[in-house]
Formats: sequence, structure tokens, C-alpha cells
Amino acid sequence: MQNQLPPLTTTEFEPVSLRETVLRMAYNAQCVHIPCAFSIIELLSALYGNLLRFDRADPRNPKRDYLVLSKGHGVMAQYACFYRLGWITDNDVNYYLGNGTNLHGLSESHIPGCEVTSGSLGHGLPIAVGIAKGLAIKGSDQKVFCIVGDGELNEGSAWESILFAAHHKLRNLNIIVDANGFQAMGETSQIINLESLTQKFSSFGFFSDECNGHEVKNIIEKIRAMDGEPLPKSLIARTIKGKGVSFMENNNSWHYTRLNQNTYQAALRELGGA
Amino acid sequence: MRETLSKLLAEATSKYPDLFILTGDHGYSLFDAVRKTSPSKFINVGVSEQAMVGYASGLHKVGIRTIIYGLASFVPIRVLEQIKLDLCAGSVPAIIIGDGAGVVYSTLGSSHQCAEDIACLRAMPNISIYSPCDKFELTTCFEEALKLNHTSYIRIGKSDRPEVHPHKPATPGVNRVSTGNKEKYAIVATGSMVSVGKNIGQKYDVSVYSVSKLKPFPDADILKNHTNLFSLEEHSQFGGLFSALSEIIATDTSWNAKVTPFCLEDHFARKCGDYQFALSEHSISDQQLEERLRATILQLESDV
Repeated sequence: MQNQLPPLTTTEFEPVSLRETVLRMAYNAQCVHIPCAFSIIELLSALYGNLLRFDRADPRNPKRDYLVLSKGHGVMAQYACFYRLGWITDNDVNYYLGNGTNLHGLSESHIPGCEVTSGSLGHGLPIAVGIAKGLAIKGSDQKVFCIVGDGELNEGSAWESILFAAHHKLRNLNIIVDANGFQAMGETSQIINLESLTQKFSSFGFFSDECNGHEVKNIIEKIRAMDGEPLPKSLIARTIKGKGVSFMENNNSWHYTRLNQNTYQAALRELGGA
Repeated sequence: MRETLSKLLAEATSKYPDLFILTGDHGYSLFDAVRKTSPSKFINVGVSEQAMVGYASGLHKVGIRTIIYGLASFVPIRVLEQIKLDLCAGSVPAIIIGDGAGVVYSTLGSSHQCAEDIACLRAMPNISIYSPCDKFELTTCFEEALKLNHTSYIRIGKSDRPEVHPHKPATPGVNRVSTGNKEKYAIVATGSMVSVGKNIGQKYDVSVYSVSKLKPFPDADILKNHTNLFSLEEHSQFGGLFSALSEIIATDTSWNAKVTPFCLEDHFARKCGDYQFALSEHSISDQQLEERLRATILQLESDV
């Protein structure tokens, strides 16, 4: 477990460096889905840096806390963390999506560190709930964190599992909603209005709170504060799609846009990395 | 067969500490035994089949194996993508039981009838598919499924047909259940169609085989002795037993056989009626099957 190994330094999961890695992968691969990775960078930084108990030497250690990325479209952010942990290599980053390489553009469960095959939305949360139920059956103190997109919460299967988690009082379950306000084709408020998410989760039987999803300290404090509650938890993380690069922020066309040399250099400059 | 299924579920959950049963609010008295012997091993997840398959995947991650029960119209049909991604993609050794397959729920109409489950699942990697005809085959299939390291599907059709086998077959596969002297012909049936096929075969002196496993398709060399196979299944022509036999014959030059399908036709329920009526809408009621097979054999004999 993390506590038994050399401590991780904050800089290992420093958001700027994680975003740089995402940009590097996306530029090398000429792929899309950058902004939905950028909106969960601080969440992952807080989780891997301070909240999750895991084994650096073995991502599949059965004693780990589980982190389920249900919104598989943001997987580059998770790969950036894997890169810091040594779970993926420079080759994986430099030749991302190349022929014969390991990593796909969405989460695949056979990759150590990825818990689920995601990208088809509404799958990860029910699996996370199943993990939480299993851990409860076994009397384990391990925890389950599941990052879902706000747009993903259009899916009925998500709400089926939210009902189940509340009925079974799965207090080991922590749902983190990446509430960036966008889904594939526009603003969630214009397509399927989800608000008030906090009230919805509360009325479903969750302990629910909100945080600034780009302040690592705030995320950590909120999750730690919820820990003692005898209910499943949800943290609505208010985030910005494309956070960190001004021309990507809240600009949904970047969901589908690839970097060219100019935009890559400009994005790196904004992050302070070039 | 239903009593046997109930008993098998109760015995397995008693025997294996980490084996649980999930149902999406279906099954009712089927689970009386397991609820009595291992109440904590039975979870009714509510009317939420999609999430149920996800729970099975999550439970497996922490060492809990599951049997997922539903009516075939819902499990697997409603939850195909969950089976594909949450189970098959990770080779999760869950056992899916799809009950009431075919037109068992004749009076309930199209929502509860299921002609396409085998076809849909056969196209997925990492899944074994069983279609037992009686309590003996069910036991053999269930026992094999419990030993697998990947996903499996057990299709339960009309469960009150007469027993076919005198005892448990050694393995799931292609098993001869009746021997006839007209060696050119053979009835090859699966699930609910085996008992009626056996009756017809005995009447017209034709050998009858039961196919209890459809994926991976078992060794079928025993059928090579026959040149005209009549496939019987309460399933669509597309993707089930007829397809599996045709695929073998088309790709293996050592075969010299032709298959004629007797199966559910390419339409939904039209009028309401009992089980035999529903089968008759597809021209495979017991009576129609006998008439059609008799006519087919007569025609083939006259062509010689």
C-alpha cells in the first residue's frame, strides 16, 4: 500500500505536469478528448496524491482502493497519472494510439490501473457499485471512488445503481461528478438539465456535497470530511471543460479538435511548460 | 427442469462461499430453496437489469462470483452491451441464466418472447452458450459452466417438456438420444425441441441428437454419418443451431450434408394463444413439426 512505500511527492501529480503529459499524448496521437481530460486533472491529482490507498508496485493489488473512471473519455488524464507512477512508459506516451501499442483512446479494463472498460457511458458506475457491495459483503475497509461525467448521468443505468447503492447503504462508495457543464453536443443545461445534482443525490439517499473541482486542497478536504458519514457519498465537483488552456475552456468544439503545432505550443505556453 | 434449476442454485450457493445469485426481480418461487439455505447469497437488485450486470462485474473484481438470472427477453437481450463490455471483455466468469426463452410466454406477446438470444451472444468473444433440453442436460451444463474461467449463458426454454435422457450425459455437446435405421437422415435439436424431435424420430425411424452446447460448438463428427440433417430449435433461423451447423458444413470439406431448418420464423407474435398456438404461428407446433418432417422425408425418399 501507498503508506508502506516511499511517499509520493505532491509534484508527482502536480496538475500542470499532468496536463503537459495529456497534451503530449494528444499531440503525438493527433487525437481528441483533451478538454474532458483536463476537467478531471485536479480530481485525479487529489486522489492519487492523497486519498487512494494503492500499491505502486502492483496496480492490481487486491487490497487497493478502487478508482473507477466511468467517464472513459477522460482517460488521458488517468494515463498521465500512470506515467508518473511508472505504470506506463515514455513509449506509451510518445506513440499513443500507434499501431500495436497498448493504450486505447478510451479506458480498457485489461490495462493495469484501469478498472473498467468505459467509453460507452453508464457502465462504470454500476460496476463501482458492485465493487462497493462486494467489499461490504467481505467486511473490507477498502473504498471505491467513481468519477462520472455530468453528461453521463443522462444514462438510466447510472440512476439504477444510485438507487441500489443507497438502498444497501454502501458507505464505502464515493461518486465524484465531473460537473463541467458540457456533454458531447452542447451544454448539459440545454440538453438534459441535471440540476440540482446535489439535491438529486441527497434525495436518493446519498450524503452529497459540492467542491471546486480545480482546487486540490478543497477536493481533499471535502472527501475527508464526508468519510465518516454512514451513507454513500457524492461530491459534485464544479469543473471547467478544458481547464488550463484558455482557448479550450468552455469551448465545446475542442471536444472534437486535434492539436496542430501552433495550438500545441500555445497550450504548452499557457501551462508554463514551454 | 425448473425444480432441478432451483436445487442446483441452492446447492451451488451452499457449496461455494463466494458464489452469489442476482436477479432483476424475476424468478419468484425458483429461489425459495436458495433463500432458505443461503439467504445472504441471494440479491434481488430490483427492476434494473442493466445495472445488475455491472454489479456482477464489480463483485467479480473483489472475488465474488455471480449467477445472473432473468427472463431471456431481458437477460441477455435488454443488457447485451453490459454483457459484452462488463462481462465478456474482461472474461468475467458469471453464469447468465435466461429463462422462458423462445415463445414460452405465449400469451404475454412479443415483449416476453425471445427468438434471438443465442444469435446475439454467439457473436461475442469469451462466452460459452448452453441450451439444455431436460433436467439431466441442465445439470451437466450447469456443472461445466461453474468450472469455466469466462462468461457463460444457459438458455432455459419450455421447462415442462418430457425428460429426454435416462440419466445425466457425460458432457454438454452433441448427444444421440434416439437411434433410427434411416441412416441418411437425422434430427438435430436443441432445448425445448429435443423431446418433440425424439418422438418424431422414433416414429419415422430417424436418429435424433440433442445439442446442449452451442458455443464453442462441440465435436459434431457423429453427425457425419447422415447426409440430411433437420435442425429443430425454438430460436430464429439466423444465428442459432441451424446457423452453427451450416457454418461447419460450409467450412469443413469433410462434411457432405445438407441442413433443413425448422425454427422460429422471421416475425413477431401475431395473435394471442397458448404455447402450442404460439409455436404454430411459426409452423413448429408439435403437430406441424411432425407433418413437415414426415413430408420432407417422403419428398427426399421420392427424389432418390
